[in-house]
Amino acid sequence: MASISTEAGALTVQGVRPSKKRTPWLTVILLVAPFLIVYAAFLLYPTVRVIMLSFTNADIAGKGSYIGTANYVKLWKDPLFWASLWHTIYFILLTVVPNTALGLIFGLIVVRQKRILRGIVLVLLFMPYILPVSVVTQIYLWVLSAAYGIVNFIFNVRINWFQDPYWAMPSVAFVTIWWTVGFNMLLFIAGLEAIPREYYEAASLDGAGGGLRVFRYITWPLVWPVTSLVLVLQLISQWQIFNQVYLLTNGGPFNKTIVVLMYMYQQAFTRYKGGYAATISLALFVLILLTSLVQIRLLRFRGNT
Amino acid sequence: MKRSLVKGILLLVILCAPLLAWAAPTPVTLWDFLSGGDGVRWRAIIDAFNTSQSNIVVNATTLTWGDPFYTKVHTSVVAGETPDVMTYHISHFPAGIKAGDLRPITEAELKSVGLAFKDFNPALVNLSLELSKTYGQAGTIYGIPLDTHTSIIYYNKDILKKAGLLGADGKPQGFTGIDNFTKSLQKIKGSTGLLPMAMSSSNDPASVWRMFYTLFSQQGGKLAANGQLTLDQLDTYGKTAMQAIGDWAKNGLIPANVDYPGSVALFTTGKAAFMFNGNWEVPTVVDMQKKGTLPFNYGLMAFPKLYGTAATWADSHNISIPNNDKKPISAAMLKAVLTWVAYVEKNATAWAGGGHLPAYLPVLNGPDLAKLSPVNQYSGQAAKQVTLEPVSPVFGVGAPAYNLVANYLTPVLLGQISAGDAVSQFKAQLLSAAE
Repeated sequence: MASISTEAGALTVQGVRPSKKRTPWLTVILLVAPFLIVYAAFLLYPTVRVIMLSFTNADIAGKGSYIGTANYVKLWKDPLFWASLWHTIYFILLTVVPNTALGLIFGLIVVRQKRILRGIVLVLLFMPYILPVSVVTQIYLWVLSAAYGIVNFIFNVRINWFQDPYWAMPSVAFVTIWWTVGFNMLLFIAGLEAIPREYYEAASLDGAGGGLRVFRYITWPLVWPVTSLVLVLQLISQWQIFNQVYLLTNGGPFNKTIVVLMYMYQQAFTRYKGGYAATISLALFVLILLTSLVQIRLLRFRGNT
Repeated sequence: MKRSLVKGILLLVILCAPLLAWAAPTPVTLWDFLSGGDGVRWRAIIDAFNTSQSNIVVNATTLTWGDPFYTKVHTSVVAGETPDVMTYHISHFPAGIKAGDLRPITEAELKSVGLAFKDFNPALVNLSLELSKTYGQAGTIYGIPLDTHTSIIYYNKDILKKAGLLGADGKPQGFTGIDNFTKSLQKIKGSTGLLPMAMSSSNDPASVWRMFYTLFSQQGGKLAANGQLTLDQLDTYGKTAMQAIGDWAKNGLIPANVDYPGSVALFTTGKAAFMFNGNWEVPTVVDMQKKGTLPFNYGLMAFPKLYGTAATWADSHNISIPNNDKKPISAAMLKAVLTWVAYVEKNATAWAGGGHLPAYLPVLNGPDLAKLSPVNQYSGQAAKQVTLEPVSPVFGVGAPAYNLVANYLTPVLLGQISAGDAVSQFKAQLLSAAE
């Protein structure tokens, strides 16, 4: 006797035995093969080659001889690599949480608007995201220009934002947040709109009062899946920061904004040291993997309380 | 009847198609990095070549100058998807030959289009042959010299006159010797309130390097010998040079953080008395004056002698053929490329209009160049002061040194580091880059 229930949003059919037909292996293989072939050719194979490359002293053309773990020893002792690591971590601290927070705030702003105003606000807040990175950096090279920039003009300062050892990284972080917050905002809008209106109505009926209490006890927990998703996505993508640094500061001043991928790029394409660059990129891969696994665990743990 | 007629015409067209391909001109792909004022002259030469004959069509693509260009060339060589011909700095020859990016050119190949080694500036050819001996195949050259280009001083006659620094001959007076030079710059600032010398430094390590290398070489400094780095003079002459530049910036005699287009704009709008720049911006001021958009009378001069000698940074554009192991250049394509090169060399007067000093001797020593104004205001003197970049894979356009200049020398202008610390860190980084 079959019965259908909807428990926790999932559809289950109970009391029906699964079919005993043979799995059509040929169909399975044919359907999965195209993806597997592309995946193997463009993801697995290059990864394997990079791992192999890191054990050689190859140049960018990939021709070199086996040198064992010499590259890894060199990496461990390389002060510029560790410096680039700290700079990347500093950048992550400057962008991951602020970007997520700002995305949530903008999302809250947008969902409160009605009809036309909502469309206008949404477009304005999302527009930077559609610009290519080179356009964004060109804009900010002028806005934050030391001699002709409008920011220096308005605040009457003469800071060379992208060449100042103290302000360079925060400036890059600011540009990054300005550019990418739109995407996070969209995710949050979807998450916020998925919260049933009844909860808010019930809360106001029960005299929940001020917006802050409603936010803390209703909105925040219910939008938490989106928040944790955005945090994880942000972490993974900010570990890989390269474009903005390359275009805005080129690693300077005094290599103070050089990040791991920028260092890898210099080793690979300016110094033509392919083997060593492969080692750097593998180190970054392991770091991203470990930190995002840790983060997922922590967030899931927090979310369940 | 009609159907077979249509079929017949179709067949005829299909049979004629190979004829069309055979009659089509040979397309030559050229990569260059000439996007300054001289780029306009360059494209005019290419267009003139294309219209002057119908066998060869040169399709030029202008790429970003500097590091990105050489990286792109190297990756194209690795991938086997190279252009047929490209421009290349002689200062990057050590790195380029070593990386296997360039194809050697023999004198016999040059002779096939009526050129020979002796037709070119001996300083450039001898250097090229030496580089080939050290890094590649002796007896060949890895690029045909096109020009020598150097840093010059563009000056605003009206501002200098107001400051009382213009001689009776209409040329700047009181700028020989480092102390006179600095004092005169201060006089300009004091009496007119305008910027004495426009020089770019923001996002432009090349300009800082050129000024530094000029002042360093004028004191007799050398950074490489016999293919080895000799960096000890950085601590003495290098420090003096960097100190001078840093003091100029501190006292407002040069801007501390203006970028390249900004520095050109400062001069061409009449807000700076001098501009320290390469000769490639000569067409910019020439064209502006012709259009009447230059609000002052300008002059050009070779960089003055501030220390023991009058040496001035210089580099040389060459026309090189990329090395392609997978698809080596065919004999027909080589002939087409060399034919175009011969045309460019013989019409080097047009290229000199871009401000450069041609490498082809018949043009360099010919009557047209002496008459070419305003290039002749500096060409004679500048040619004597030419000091090419140090010969090492670490130096030259697109090599690690430029990046290090941005990180360690430019901050001196911003007052972020002392000259002494800057050069010692610069030296340490150069040594580690050379490994």
